[in-house]
Amino acid sequence: MKNYPLWKTTLVIIVVLSGIIFSIPSIVYKEESGNWFFDNKVNLGLDLQGGSYLLLEVKTEVLFKEELDNISDSLRLIARNFQTNISDIKAEKDQIQIRVTHTDNIEQIRKEFLNNYRNVSVVINNNTIKIIINDLFKKSIQESAIKQSLEIVRKRIDESGTKEPLIQRAGKNRILLQLPGIKDPERIKELLGTTAKLTFHMVDDDDNISLKANRAPFGKLIVSDYYDANIKYIVEKKARVGGENLIDAKASFDPQQGNAVSFRFDTTGAQKFGKATSSNVGKRFAVILDGVVITAPVINSAITGGSGIITGNFTSQEATDLAVLLRAGALPAPLEIVEERSVGPGLGADSIKAGKIAAILGMLGVCIFMILIYGPFGFIANMSLIVNLFIIIALLGTIGATLTLPGIAGIVLTIGMAVDANVLIFERIKEEFNKNVKIFAGVKNGFDKALSTILDANITTLIAALLLFVFGSGPIKGFAITLSLGIIASMFTAIVFTNFLIYFWLSISNKKEINL
Amino acid sequence: MFGINRIIRFESNYSFMDYRKLFFVVSLIFILISIFLLSFRGLNLGIDFKGGTLIEVNTINSDIGELRSILSPKFNDVTLQEFGDSNTIIIRLQNESNNESIQTINKVKLLISDKVSEFRRSEFVGPTISSELLWKGLQAIIFALIAILIYIWLRFEWQFGFGAVVALAHDVIFTLGVLSLFSIDFSLSSIAAVLTIAGYSINDSVVIFDRIRENLRKYKKLELPDLFNISINNTLSRTVMTSLTTLIALICLYFFGGEVIKPFAFAMIIGVLIGTYSSIFIAVPTLLLFKFRPQEEDNKLI
Repeated sequence: MKNYPLWKTTLVIIVVLSGIIFSIPSIVYKEESGNWFFDNKVNLGLDLQGGSYLLLEVKTEVLFKEELDNISDSLRLIARNFQTNISDIKAEKDQIQIRVTHTDNIEQIRKEFLNNYRNVSVVINNNTIKIIINDLFKKSIQESAIKQSLEIVRKRIDESGTKEPLIQRAGKNRILLQLPGIKDPERIKELLGTTAKLTFHMVDDDDNISLKANRAPFGKLIVSDYYDANIKYIVEKKARVGGENLIDAKASFDPQQGNAVSFRFDTTGAQKFGKATSSNVGKRFAVILDGVVITAPVINSAITGGSGIITGNFTSQEATDLAVLLRAGALPAPLEIVEERSVGPGLGADSIKAGKIAAILGMLGVCIFMILIYGPFGFIANMSLIVNLFIIIALLGTIGATLTLPGIAGIVLTIGMAVDANVLIFERIKEEFNKNVKIFAGVKNGFDKALSTILDANITTLIAALLLFVFGSGPIKGFAITLSLGIIASMFTAIVFTNFLIYFWLSISNKKEINL
Repeated sequence: MFGINRIIRFESNYSFMDYRKLFFVVSLIFILISIFLLSFRGLNLGIDFKGGTLIEVNTINSDIGELRSILSPKFNDVTLQEFGDSNTIIIRLQNESNNESIQTINKVKLLISDKVSEFRRSEFVGPTISSELLWKGLQAIIFALIAILIYIWLRFEWQFGFGAVVALAHDVIFTLGVLSLFSIDFSLSSIAAVLTIAGYSINDSVVIFDRIRENLRKYKKLELPDLFNISINNTLSRTVMTSLTTLIALICLYFFGGEVIKPFAFAMIIGVLIGTYSSIFIAVPTLLLFKFRPQEEDNKLI
């Protein structure tokens, strides 16, 4: 090994050793140990360890509609103050059109309205007032809804007892959930699919005419019963108390009514509830959850203690889940599951096993083939290939990348393609030998001439892999990562490590001629 | 070593260019067939791109017919398929709205729970997501092709870029045609396969182009077809070797890597085979469309 530059030897030793050392944690594969060294292991993707991936969309359109409802209500009040009758209201996606019977006070109405609402534009055209929610307002509604939703989703998942969930925002209006090792994704999906907006309203039992006509008078709402959609109630539109005033909710059991949820209000809630019940003794109040009445009991006496129970025909699981939902709070807008991928632990384990077998057999096949074709040089290429794998695993572990099933495919593919750089070099060396160039000179020329080809050939594949990383989603990113790392590592091992091994072998074997 | 190297290690001297017209015609026919298949039969889009629900189960001694007879009456568009062995069954349901899907998976699970030993996976892709995934996949392919083209154009003369892209398009269309012919499930990992095939195809062409460029400088007097022949022969054992090692790995992946990865491995095997062929018989002959030695003609004029 005389004449072999010291820095190159050092580089080879450092890279190869750290490749081997840092792949140890991933290979021995222990649970979290708290030891920084052993925790540098490859993370397994959900498709390998089992678990659920959920993508949720926050349905913010509902909020715009609510906002438009508010606007139309307050406009109606203002118009009434100015003795103007409204003849027609039309609400569309993000605007509302109101036609008034006479236009005398239309300017004052507009002025008064704008005192209460900013962030909307008001256009008057003859006897119609058009109110448009502007983009800034829309964005701020959307933003706060998503932030709030994230918070609530986090609480609900925590309450459900899921370990190590990953909850993050994805894009404009989506939330991404990764729940490793989850056994029952259906229950989680149900927890997330419920808005859980709980409100208490006074019931109007006297207005039978409106009920029959199925037309709610101003300030009132018609709501159907949860268990029998044919039963309707007329309730006040404005809730007396809402779920936001709850501080605790628990599943409980009532000897007469069966499964129930007991709850407690905070001070404000208790005051409001006390006031509402004391002035309405003998009337009914409705407990409304997500737009339907769960129960509507008669108020026998004022409830001032700030706690109570909700009964319905719950199963015990329903009662538990409702309690979880009430504790975590209501979602500002409904969530919709737009993508789900759940893998059971059995399939994950099978995939790992199959991947290992494919990798080992592929490795053996390639190694045997290389030795058959290139003899000792093939053996050297195989050493490079093994080191290459160590480096890939070490890099995956230290950068904290996630290994997925396509990622394993990427590694197996790398095993096949990584020897390419070696082959390019060996073929060049062979040509040099055929020209009767001396051994050391032949090896040197071979490496020099192969270098630019190796770079050109690998960079094109690397470009494809990188774009796959940018545009690919989920598991496919895992493929792009292992393929890219494999290509980079194979260039290093071929150009530097193979070179080192060949010089090492030549200097100890003292060969005068090689039949490559 | 062992004499085997004598078989693969040919000191080859084939006249590839003599047969270029034949191979052009053969390729053209295959490409036309592929395009025909793709436009009339189409790709067998999986739920990634079409949307829908997929559930994989392991059954306890019940066969696919039994499950079908339970599920078919309850759902409009349900298909069942054995997956690898007769105990593993994939259930596919089409195109419900997002909200329905939650209930659908649950409903299926309830209906067949006593026939099933393990629910291996369930996937649902909503209509908005599937079209986004398709669009993103197309973007990845388009941008990768542009980026590769730019790289080739920077490193070689543009004529080489043209040859490489013709070969690449040939490989991708052919592979897609084969996927269509065998109704292979086209999923996200198929996009990965297509891009990797693109990378591999270019990689193979680039190695030969490199040698052509070198030989253009070395043999100034040689006719282009002869020079191309020499260049292909120079690099032939590398071309064959790399394809073989890659195929060894891919075949192992196909047979032992598990059912989920099979379509990917299949597409890659086709891609590597066709990529190897095209770099020799398509990419290089395409270069004959161009004159590479303007300086030579200048000399003649003088």
